[in-house]
Amino acid sequence: MTAIRIENLTRTFGAVRAVDDISLDIRHGELFTLLGPSGCGKTTLLRMIAGFVDVESGSICFDGRRIDALPAHRRDTGMVFQNYAIFPNHTVAENVAYGLKARKIPAAEIVSRVDKALERVRLAGYGPRSPHQLSGGQLQRVAIARALVIEPAVLLFDEPLSNLDAQLRTEMRVEVRQLQQALGLTAIYVTHDQEEALAISDRIAVLRHGTIEQVDTPERIYRMPQTAFVAEFLGSTNMVPGIAGAFDGHNTPVAAAGTEFTVRGEVAAPGTPVLLSVRPEALQLRDGSGGSLVHARLALREFLGPVQRLHATLPDGTPIRISALGGQALDLLPGAPLTLAYDPAQITAYPAP
Amino acid sequence: MKRFATIVTLAALVLLAVFLLYPLALVLDASFRIDGTGGLTLGNYAAIVKSRYYLGSIGNSLLCAALATVFACAIGIPLAFCLARIDIPGRALLLTLASLPLVLPSFVSAYALVLLFGHAGVVTTALRGIGIPIGSIYGLPGIVIVFTLTLYPYVVMPVLAGFQAVDASMEEAARNLGGSRPYVIRTVLLPIVMPAILAGGLLVFIEALENFGVPAVLAEDRPFLAVDIFKLFAGESDANPAAAGALSVLLIACTAIALLVQRHYLGKRRFSTNARSAPAKLPLTPGLRLTATIVSWGIVIASLLPFAAVLMISLLRFRGPVLTWEFGLGNYATLLSGSYRPLLNTLTLASIAAVATMLIGAPIGYVVARHRSRLSGLLDFVGMVPFAVSGTILAIGLIIAFNSGPLILTGGWLILVIAYVVRKLPFAIRSSSAIVHQLDPSLEEASINLGVSPSKTFATLTVPLMASGLVGGLVLVWITAASELSATIVLYASGWVTTTVVMYHAIEGTGAGLAAAAAAVLILVTAIPLLLINRRINKQESTVI
Repeated sequence: MTAIRIENLTRTFGAVRAVDDISLDIRHGELFTLLGPSGCGKTTLLRMIAGFVDVESGSICFDGRRIDALPAHRRDTGMVFQNYAIFPNHTVAENVAYGLKARKIPAAEIVSRVDKALERVRLAGYGPRSPHQLSGGQLQRVAIARALVIEPAVLLFDEPLSNLDAQLRTEMRVEVRQLQQALGLTAIYVTHDQEEALAISDRIAVLRHGTIEQVDTPERIYRMPQTAFVAEFLGSTNMVPGIAGAFDGHNTPVAAAGTEFTVRGEVAAPGTPVLLSVRPEALQLRDGSGGSLVHARLALREFLGPVQRLHATLPDGTPIRISALGGQALDLLPGAPLTLAYDPAQITAYPAP
Repeated sequence: MKRFATIVTLAALVLLAVFLLYPLALVLDASFRIDGTGGLTLGNYAAIVKSRYYLGSIGNSLLCAALATVFACAIGIPLAFCLARIDIPGRALLLTLASLPLVLPSFVSAYALVLLFGHAGVVTTALRGIGIPIGSIYGLPGIVIVFTLTLYPYVVMPVLAGFQAVDASMEEAARNLGGSRPYVIRTVLLPIVMPAILAGGLLVFIEALENFGVPAVLAEDRPFLAVDIFKLFAGESDANPAAAGALSVLLIACTAIALLVQRHYLGKRRFSTNARSAPAKLPLTPGLRLTATIVSWGIVIASLLPFAAVLMISLLRFRGPVLTWEFGLGNYATLLSGSYRPLLNTLTLASIAAVATMLIGAPIGYVVARHRSRLSGLLDFVGMVPFAVSGTILAIGLIIAFNSGPLILTGGWLILVIAYVVRKLPFAIRSSSAIVHQLDPSLEEASINLGVSPSKTFATLTVPLMASGLVGGLVLVWITAASELSATIVLYASGWVTTTVVMYHAIEGTGAGLAAAAAAVLILVTAIPLLLINRRINKQESTVI
C-alpha cells in the first residue's frame, strides 16, 4: 500500500503545456482514475509517474519518498500497457517472470509466484504457451499478471481495455477492479471512457488541457459536476444557454430556449447569462401537471431496447435529448407534443463562457 | 537511455567524419588545386568544360542512366502489377528470383554479354558463321541493357509494395462511384504508387550513374564518367588526380541533385500502408493470364540468363580468346593454380566488413529510429551520404587521406574493410532502423518498468527481437562486399588481391577463361548464402505469423 503525493507537476512539449501545474493526493489502496479527452495530458501524467517522461518541475512522492529523479527501472511501479506489450520472444510464464528475474528472486520462488499470478488471472496452465497463441483478452490478463507478480508499490494502467471489444471490456474491468481490491494495491488508471471511469474508480480526476477540472468520487462527479466541461464530458448532457431571473429564496427561474427552467438555489445575479446542464434522464415524460414542467416537441425516437432516446425541440427550436424507458411513449410520432417534468435540484447552472 | 543514444551518435559521427567526410573533403580540395604545385585554381573544371571528351563522358553517363531508368520502369511497373494483382503460377519463387539481380554482381552480367555477343562471342560467332552479322553491343546499347536487367528490381520492390498497400475498399469505392477499371487504375492506383515509382526510378538512376564495373567491361574506349575518374586517378600513362577530383565532384553533384529531388518530392507525398485487406486478384481470361505469366517469367529469366550463361561457359574450354565446345574444369584450375589467396581474401574481407558494418550500423539504426534529436537527425543524414558517393570516389578520397600523415592505411587490408563498411553503412542503418520501427516501443518500456535497466534492455530484449532482421542484413552486406569492384580496384595492394580484381584484370588482358571462372566463383559466392538465408527467413516468417 502506497500513498502518492504529486505537487505542482509540469511538463511542456514545445509550446504545449501537456501537464500544467498539477497537484494530487492519492490514498492508500485507492483506484484513482485520470479521465479526459485525448490530448488532455492524462497519459503524459501517468508516464511521468512511471518515469518515461521527464519531470520539468514539481515532485512525485511515494509514501513521502521522492521518486521523480529515479530512473524508470528503479521506481517499483507495475504498468499495464494499452497494447499489452507482451514480449513476443518469451513464453507466457517467461513474460510474467521477467520482473522477478530482474529483481534476482530465487528460481524456485519465481516458479511458484508465476503460477500463483497466472492462477489469479484465470490463466493457470498457460505458462508454456507462446503469446501469439493467446487471444486479446488473454494477453491482457498476462499483462496484468506480469504487473501484479512483482508486488509493485503502485499499479499503473494506461487505457488497458481500449483494444478489447465492448463485451470483453465490461468483463475485464470487473476483474481488474476485483484484483486491485483483493490485493489492496494503490492503482492509477488512465482512460477516456467515462462509463469505465465511473464503474471502476474510487475517485476520478477529470483533466482538460493539462489541468485538473475536478477530483471527486464517481457519484459526486456525475451528480455535481463543478464545471460545464465536466458536466458535458460525463454523460451526454443537454447544455442550454439562458438568462437568470430573481432568486425567490428557494429556486431561481432561468429563461431559456423560449421557456423557463427552475433551478435550485441562487444561480447568479438577475439578468446574468448562464449555461444550464440538463441530464437526459432528469427529464421525465408526464401526462398531467404539477411540479416543474417544460414543453417540447418530438423530432426523432431512437429505440435502444431497455431505454429510448428521444430527440425533441424546445419552444424556440433548441434541440434536447431525453432518456425514457423502453416501454414508454411507443405510440408517439414525430411532431407530438411532450410534457417533461424535472426536479430543480438535478439541473445545474454554470456561468456562460 | 539518453546517454546511451548520445554516446552512439557521437561515436558514429566521429567515425563518419574521419572515414567519409574528411576523404571527400580532400577530393573536393584536390579538384581546386593545380596538379603538382598545389596552387588554387578553377582550371580543372575549365579543362573539363573545354574538353569534348569529358563533356562526352558526362553526357554518356547521364544518358545511359536516364535510359536505364526509363527501361527499368517500363519492365518493372508491369511486373510489379502482375505480381500484385494477377494469379501467376509460381509467384513466390518468381518474387525471390526477381530480387536476385540486385545482389548478383552486375559486371558479371556485363561480362556474360561480352561472352555471348562480344567480338568473339558465342552467339556472334555462330551467327557470323551462317552469314548474319549483328551490331556491336559495346557502348551504350550493351550498358543500358545490363543496367536495365540488373537494376529493375529497384523499381519492382517498392511499386509492388505500393500496389499491395492500396486497400481493397479504395478501389471498390472508386468503382462503386462509377469509375471503369482503367479509369480507376489511372485515378486511384497510379497516383498512390507514383511515389514508389519515383523512389525506385531514382535508385536505378543513381546506381547506373555511379556504377564502375559495367562500363569498365562494356565501354571499350567510349568515355564514361565512372571509368574516366578511375583512369585519371590510377591510370599509368595519363594520370591526373586533380582532373579526377573535378570529375568526381561533378558525379557526386549529379547524384546529390537526384537524391534531393527525390527527398523533396517524397517529403510532400506519403501513402498510408495500413491496408486491411489486400485487393483481390484480377479476374482474367485464360489467354490474358497466360500472357501475363509469360511476360513476368520472361523478364525475370532474361535478367538471370546472363549469370546462367557465365556458369555454363566457365565449364567450357577456351583456346586463347576463342571458346570451344569441350567441357573441362581447366578454367578453374588456372584460376586456382596461381594461388588460393584471392578467393580467401574475398571471403575474409567480406566477413570482417559484414560483421563490422552491422555492429556499427545496428546501434545507429536504433538511435535514429528511437531517439529523435537534432544530433541524430544529422547522423541520419550523414549516414546516407555514402549512397551518393561512388565506390571509386570514396576509394580515391581514402587514398589521399591515408597515404601519408599520422594514419597510414594504404597497402593493407584495413583500408579495404573501411571502404566496404562505409559504403554498406547506409544499408545497415536503413535495415536496422526499419526493424526497430516495427518493434513497439512499449515492449522496451515494459521491460524497464519491470526493473531492467535501459542498456540491459537493449542487449537482452531489443537485440534478440532485431536478430532475425540483422542476420538478413549481415548476409546481404557480406554478399555485396564480396562482389565489390569499384573501390577494391583502386585500393587493393599486392597481398590483398580479391576475386573481383582477378576477374577485372583477366577481362582487361586475354584471360577469357580465367575471367569466366572468376565470374562463376563470384556468382556462387553470392548466390549460395542468399539461398540459405532465404530459406531461413521464410521459416522465421511462418513461425512468427
